[in-house]
Amino acid sequence: MGDALRGKVAVITGAGRGIGRAVALFFAQEGAKVVVNDPGVNVDGTGGTTAVADEVVAAIRKAGGEAVANYDSVVTMQGGENIIKTALDAFGRLDIVVTCAGILRDRMVFNMTEEEWDAVIATHLKGTFTVVKPACVIFRQQRSGRIITVSSESGLIGNSGQANYGAAKSGIAGFTKVVARDMGRYGVTANCIAPRAYTRMTAGVPEAARQIRAQRGIAGIEEEEGITQWQPEDVAPFLAYLASDYASHINGQVFLVYGDTIALMSQPRLIKTIYKPTGYWTVEELREVLPKTLTKGLVNPAPPQPAPTGRPGA
Amino acid sequence: MTRLLEGKVAVVTGGGRGIGRAVCLALARHGAKVVVNDPGVNVDGTGFSQAPAQEVVDLIRAQGGTAVPNFDTVATMQGGENIIKTALDAFGTVDILVTCAGILRDRMIFNMTEEEWDAVIATHLKGTFTVVKYASIVMRQKRYGRIITFSSVSGLWGNSGQANYGAAKDGIAGFTRVIARDLGRYGITCNVISPGAETRMTQTVPEAARQLRAQRGILSSSTVTPRTFPRPPEAVAEVVVWLASDEAANVNGQIFHVAGNIVGLMNNPAVVKELRRPGGGRWTVEEIALLFPQTLGMDLVNPAPPQPPPQPTGQPAPAAPAPTPAS
Repeated sequence: MGDALRGKVAVITGAGRGIGRAVALFFAQEGAKVVVNDPGVNVDGTGGTTAVADEVVAAIRKAGGEAVANYDSVVTMQGGENIIKTALDAFGRLDIVVTCAGILRDRMVFNMTEEEWDAVIATHLKGTFTVVKPACVIFRQQRSGRIITVSSESGLIGNSGQANYGAAKSGIAGFTKVVARDMGRYGVTANCIAPRAYTRMTAGVPEAARQIRAQRGIAGIEEEEGITQWQPEDVAPFLAYLASDYASHINGQVFLVYGDTIALMSQPRLIKTIYKPTGYWTVEELREVLPKTLTKGLVNPAPPQPAPTGRPGA
Repeated sequence: MTRLLEGKVAVVTGGGRGIGRAVCLALARHGAKVVVNDPGVNVDGTGFSQAPAQEVVDLIRAQGGTAVPNFDTVATMQGGENIIKTALDAFGTVDILVTCAGILRDRMIFNMTEEEWDAVIATHLKGTFTVVKYASIVMRQKRYGRIITFSSVSGLWGNSGQANYGAAKDGIAGFTRVIARDLGRYGITCNVISPGAETRMTQTVPEAARQLRAQRGILSSSTVTPRTFPRPPEAVAEVVVWLASDEAANVNGQIFHVAGNIVGLMNNPAVVKELRRPGGGRWTVEEIALLFPQTLGMDLVNPAPPQPPPQPTGQPAPAAPAPTPAS
């Protein structure tokens, strides 16, 4: 049992299961008082039970730590307010917010329904905003705070069949970069992690889907190759580091975390640029120049395949 | 002039003003038949007018091109479906989709309202999905298509005061990386443009805000890119024409930055440095605290360093920034 977070108060959304649960337990071990938020829904966002958050709170208390449960949904502003208010009511302050709450509704984009889109964007993206906003009101006043959001390689790199999830997860990275700039001057940091871990959520990606992608030459994300060996508990120590006083100057970054590995990810930057001294590039010029410069050697992540014979458009 | 898009059918959302307008005109000049979508709203998304879309259609027709207007919002599935249906009804298909529609509701995160969040996410992010979904059904059937979405350095790099817009715009980049993988096998390409251009939208960012950010040491796109040359929307349209052409058939899942005289390729996120604790056993916080600063943490820059709290009037500010308070 360490004391990297001694005396701090942490709110963790989606803390009833998976990575959120591991983070809650570890933060408590490191001395933090924890609000375990989880409405206990299914992976697709349906249902609900207080049991999963209660179980984590009980485990923390049994180990000698301090925790309270909260069952609000992150998808409403009221839910976000309530979650933050739970920390203030129970522990009188707030130092750390970690947003792990998330659901999945995978579908190819041409088949994706509005409901599948809305549910995933609401939980991940708006569900990050609803909690971070009231936390920032407090952090700005006290001139300190740690925000850790959860992105995914699905959006940062791209994973077929997850247009909603990828949009949300990449959106969270963009959101976090902005929040880092809004809040940095107040002594607050905001960073984003992309975790790899074998949880209820990743176990739901069928092996068949992975094989089809491989067979069709669609670039998958490396995560899929060894997912079962990485435990949610592996991710927690680095998050505790980011949440601690050690990391007071680390702000606006994106990290990949899994197993024994912590990695810094690049953010989109200009890596090849062409400049024309007189006016803008015309398409006549671009046709000549781009294939020799910017687009030279680019690899199509999903190259065109021949149409199945006899079934046009299948 | 070589006409690169002869006979192609294009849909451009937000085609009534700014970059969308320039894209419509350029696509039509290259022989594409264009659906000019624009509900003619204000920068903040309020209001409605058919005039901007109609004006662009009239201009294209006056120049001998072919175009029809559409006034639906992109923020609903029905709107997205209607926009694509306008192309099918008028021209029988859709080959090219360019999603320029967007609004702004800037606010610091701690003051941002639900309405400001929802409106921006609905227009940019869902508004990209609603049209892409219906276009991709048609494109998949014909095994051909070009989808060009619009992101922004506000999300890709991060720009203070735009948590909603930045989330939407980096979300669009992630969305496009996924659909590039969903649709590439059907001969469809999906790419992102991060534009810099002088339009009604960028005029809303006051020069005073830029100066304030610079003064406070907050990194933003405008401190990185000084405005030393003109950035007309037409510069962006030229790159869109090329990406929409058959010549860009193998360019898929990429981010291009276009601003005035420069065209750039951006990297998609990737691992740049790794720290490993091989041989099993989990990291401890103390181990990370020992190793991180000399490995991954080296050279990391805080984009908005802590500032001293405001002093009561009449008293001088402390010389050095206050340390981050430990609790």
